[in-house]
Amino acid sequence: MSLLDRMLGREDLHSLAAPYALDALDPAERVRFERHLKSCPSCAAEVRALSEDAVRLAWSTAAQPPPAMRDRVLAAVRATPQDQGPAREHTPQLPPHVWGTQPPPARSRAPRERRPLFAPLATATAAAALVVASLFAVQANRTQDRLDAERAQSREIAHVLAAPDARASAGRDAQGRSLAVVASASEGQAIVTLSGYGVPPGGRVHQLWLMRPGAQPRSLGLFPTGDTPLVATGLNKSATSLAVTVEPDGGSPQPTSQPIVQLALKSVGFGE
Amino acid sequence: MEADELLVLVAGGDQKAFEALYGLVSGPVFGLVRRVVRDPAQSEEVAQEVLLELWRSAARFDPGRGSALSWILTLAHRRAVDRVRSARAAGEREQREARRAHSTAFDQVTEEVEAGLERELVRRCLDRLTALQRQSVTLAYYDGYTYREVAERLSLPLGTVKTRMRDGLTQLRKCLGGVA
Repeated sequence: MSLLDRMLGREDLHSLAAPYALDALDPAERVRFERHLKSCPSCAAEVRALSEDAVRLAWSTAAQPPPAMRDRVLAAVRATPQDQGPAREHTPQLPPHVWGTQPPPARSRAPRERRPLFAPLATATAAAALVVASLFAVQANRTQDRLDAERAQSREIAHVLAAPDARASAGRDAQGRSLAVVASASEGQAIVTLSGYGVPPGGRVHQLWLMRPGAQPRSLGLFPTGDTPLVATGLNKSATSLAVTVEPDGGSPQPTSQPIVQLALKSVGFGE
Repeated sequence: MEADELLVLVAGGDQKAFEALYGLVSGPVFGLVRRVVRDPAQSEEVAQEVLLELWRSAARFDPGRGSALSWILTLAHRRAVDRVRSARAAGEREQREARRAHSTAFDQVTEEVEAGLERELVRRCLDRLTALQRQSVTLAYYDGYTYREVAERLSLPLGTVKTRMRDGLTQLRKCLGGVA
């Protein structure tokens, strides 16, 4: 340990190997330590050994997951595209500690017109993750009285996800609000999730519409409260987009206001 | 088939291989997440996200850097710790109460599960550590506290906690026989 190391606080960094292996660093320290690891092969080797030790602590905690979890995960897998392999030269020292959910790259766009179509998310994976996260949230937030209804709904959701042509798409605006869809053109079904829009004031509701060229919008139903997805059936392959409007309680036969958000369906196999 | 081979097949988009991998790792992943997160509904949610992340990111696994199981459990632990910390930040008091309410159910469940020999071995080896080594390691790993929080809870200097963590892990390695 040189004087320079001491002056730069490197001695201190090196001693973080064990806390790092135990995931016991706060985010800022974690980042600093990972930077340090890149320039310190002996630290990397030590961290690897200590991490293997820590994992031994994990094995003894094994517990049987609920059986329904398997169906949900496998259904989600069928609808979720995989990430590309890494550019290995950029892979940091210890894969498990450093890879994770990367936020989508920031995009700067020119101001759009007043009722824009949503910008597509950076990747199909991000879109799928958004939908799937909301499906999981539904499962996790269940209360006893909603259990049966949600079980029935999750069967429908699993059915859509299991279709060989199930694909995901989603859009998110600057405020983080999103409209996400997993759809199967062959089944004519879609699971649609509206997030971040809250509950409209005055007892009004969010209503979902199917937009087709040369035809009136067709109601696909009212969004339940919360982020619970809406399962839409009977979708025609000519459908071009989904739109959401705010309508009086009980919904309307035709939209009575401008859409608050739209999402094109081309990327999920519609619009032919 | 071993997890390492399966993960390579999964990286190539093989859904059957993923099903087999699920069979191998869902118990350890769920158990670990549940041990750290405690709340059953949240544990299920985090475990599902981890398993889906395995599917999405399987291509990033590098067999040259360690075993697949180690990679998977390290990921699961990281996600569980992130969740429990954000829950703590959101409401320290509510969280404490929720954990107390759930602790009975949780203990019953883990007792029912057969993690058998490994569980017994780890317990014996933890018992052989000094009290400070054991507490430093388990408060961090099983309860998701940072080493600063551990130091605070145990009224110890930061340097001591870091040393106890390192000594605890190396003693554990010796006791467990160093075979991962």
